[in-house]
Amino acid sequence: MNPHVDFHAFAPEIVLTVTIVAVLIADLFTDDSKLPARIAALGVLGSLVPVLTLAVDGQTRSLFGGAFVVDPFSLVLTGFFLVAGYVTLLLSFDYIGEGDYYQGEFYVLLLTSLLGMIVISSARDLISIFVALETITIPTFVLAGWRKHDTKSNEASLKYFLIGVLSSAVMLYGMSLVFGLANSTVLVDIHKYASGHTPALFAVAVFLTLVGFAFKVSAVPFHFWAPDTYEGAPTPVTAFLSVASKAGGFVALLTIVRLGFFPSGNSWQPILWVLAAASMTLGNLAALRQTNIVRMLAYSSIAQGGFILVPLAVAGDVRGNAAWQAVVIYILIYGAMNLGAFAAVIAAARRTRSAEISRLAGFGRTNPAIAVMFSVFLFSLAGIPPLAGWFAKFVMFRAVFDANTTVAVVLGVIAAVNSVIAFFYYSGVVRRLWFDEPAAGVELSSPRLPVGLSAAMGLMTAVILVVGVYPQFFARLGEIAFQRG
Amino acid sequence: MTVVLFFIFGALTIGGALGVVLARNPVHSALFLVLTLVSVAVLFLLQDAQLVAAVQIIVYAGAIVVLFLFVIMLLGVDQTEPFAEPLRFQRPVALALGAILLAEVLLLAGHRWATGAKTARGVGITGGAFGSNIQRVARVLFTTFLWPFEITAVLLVIAVIGAVVLARRSAQTPDSESESAPRSGS
Repeated sequence: MNPHVDFHAFAPEIVLTVTIVAVLIADLFTDDSKLPARIAALGVLGSLVPVLTLAVDGQTRSLFGGAFVVDPFSLVLTGFFLVAGYVTLLLSFDYIGEGDYYQGEFYVLLLTSLLGMIVISSARDLISIFVALETITIPTFVLAGWRKHDTKSNEASLKYFLIGVLSSAVMLYGMSLVFGLANSTVLVDIHKYASGHTPALFAVAVFLTLVGFAFKVSAVPFHFWAPDTYEGAPTPVTAFLSVASKAGGFVALLTIVRLGFFPSGNSWQPILWVLAAASMTLGNLAALRQTNIVRMLAYSSIAQGGFILVPLAVAGDVRGNAAWQAVVIYILIYGAMNLGAFAAVIAAARRTRSAEISRLAGFGRTNPAIAVMFSVFLFSLAGIPPLAGWFAKFVMFRAVFDANTTVAVVLGVIAAVNSVIAFFYYSGVVRRLWFDEPAAGVELSSPRLPVGLSAAMGLMTAVILVVGVYPQFFARLGEIAFQRG
Repeated sequence: MTVVLFFIFGALTIGGALGVVLARNPVHSALFLVLTLVSVAVLFLLQDAQLVAAVQIIVYAGAIVVLFLFVIMLLGVDQTEPFAEPLRFQRPVALALGAILLAEVLLLAGHRWATGAKTARGVGITGGAFGSNIQRVARVLFTTFLWPFEITAVLLVIAVIGAVVLARRSAQTPDSESESAPRSGS
């Protein structure tokens, strides 16, 4: 008896896997260093095609007894991951091309991590989710240590590796307990089990599983690896880690909570509440004190992760899909903002040769184009209308007030206070960009920006402006994601 | 027959374990560990757990002991380790913990697990349409869990590539062509 395999449903994954193999082989047989990069970019765009055909087809496809499901939710997120992966490739072309790096392998590892992400958006059982999470993280261990002669990069890689392995072990232990109790790894069956009376052990299992995810999405108090890893890794890899790989963790967390643990609210809501409140507060307070722009963005992304957790933490009291939609919309907007911000950091570092915030002084006078886009990304992260960030915050607060319980409102107040704190350090950088005298020693005239980098920044700015002015675009994507297909 | 085999390999397991602790030469300790692991594999076979037995030999006796031997060889065998114990209370604590573990195993045998499943006393998975448990595992692996299985294949390739990238010395010099020629986006 053969299992039923619907190849159309797997088409995005298949295209991407073929691309990975093609890049590997092309790198072996050619000296042309640009060829692997071109194949990689083409392959990522190529895998968007089957996503579109599946979306037009609009049919929900469920394979392997519900372990792999192609529905609007998975398609929206697969599309998001592929676009984010493509933008990361745009950022990487010149950064990787100019250093003493192995190029082909870089793209192979990046694409494999991307493969893990698109697998995770359709994964609906514990084993697929776990394997996909490992496919996301294991290539990034190597990518973080790509600058082999830099001790900071080595440290970044090693810290990330040790914490990653530890968190996987904790998560797997939790998942094994869930499996032992529910007698199934498929989320739908776990949902059924959680609807009934569950023993205390189930809460322990849920706790361990969520702690594993908290490491992956660098939520406080499991965040301490993130700033060091972000600082040491090559900046395009940092952009990828902070956006795509973090979003991968959130998507898995959303799936597992929504489809698996949901009925047993007492076991997961308090944990997520604490994680959300701690991540927002500690992330923002630590970001205030940073002098290095990459470390500041690292803490800011921890805080943003806290904001993403807010709707999840109150989801049990929100009727309908508003909370889940808020998470997806926040992830989409956060992706655009943070990729843009890191693109601007890379562009600025090409001029200043440093990641210190003080070196950015007066950047608005010497490089107005980069400075304008940089300010757009920072203000959007702070959540100022009419930039896309405000809408992300808006859907988050709407979910909190839909829930309308005391704990939810307390969390909402914490989030509001934190939005104000966050405004200080984002605007501090912007003030340095525009109102300070240029620092001595900054190159004023330097070679033109690479096309890939400019394209990435321009694209992200456009997305942020369009979504900020016309938020229905992403709101609609959020609605579509949770429609019954 | 099975009882005789059980006692023979049970004795070998314990003998090997004692050998690991008592041998002066670390290489001999590692080889005694192989003896213990293989004997445990036979004990698994007696319980009709063929898959676990095979995994026990492939993973533990094959991979892990070889890794131990590599480390021992790299560190050098001739170095005599002083046997003075830095922590004096170590030995009594180890004995106590061992006794607790034994008591726990005896207590749990035949009990219900927290998950509700009953512990099996040497009951092999027999009967049904598909024979032995290796066939069953294979069947599940290539039907229900085919997708994670395939993704794991990609993951293993990546592990090899990552290891090569990290281990290889970079002999390349930085490309000098990239400064002048800006690249197209795709």
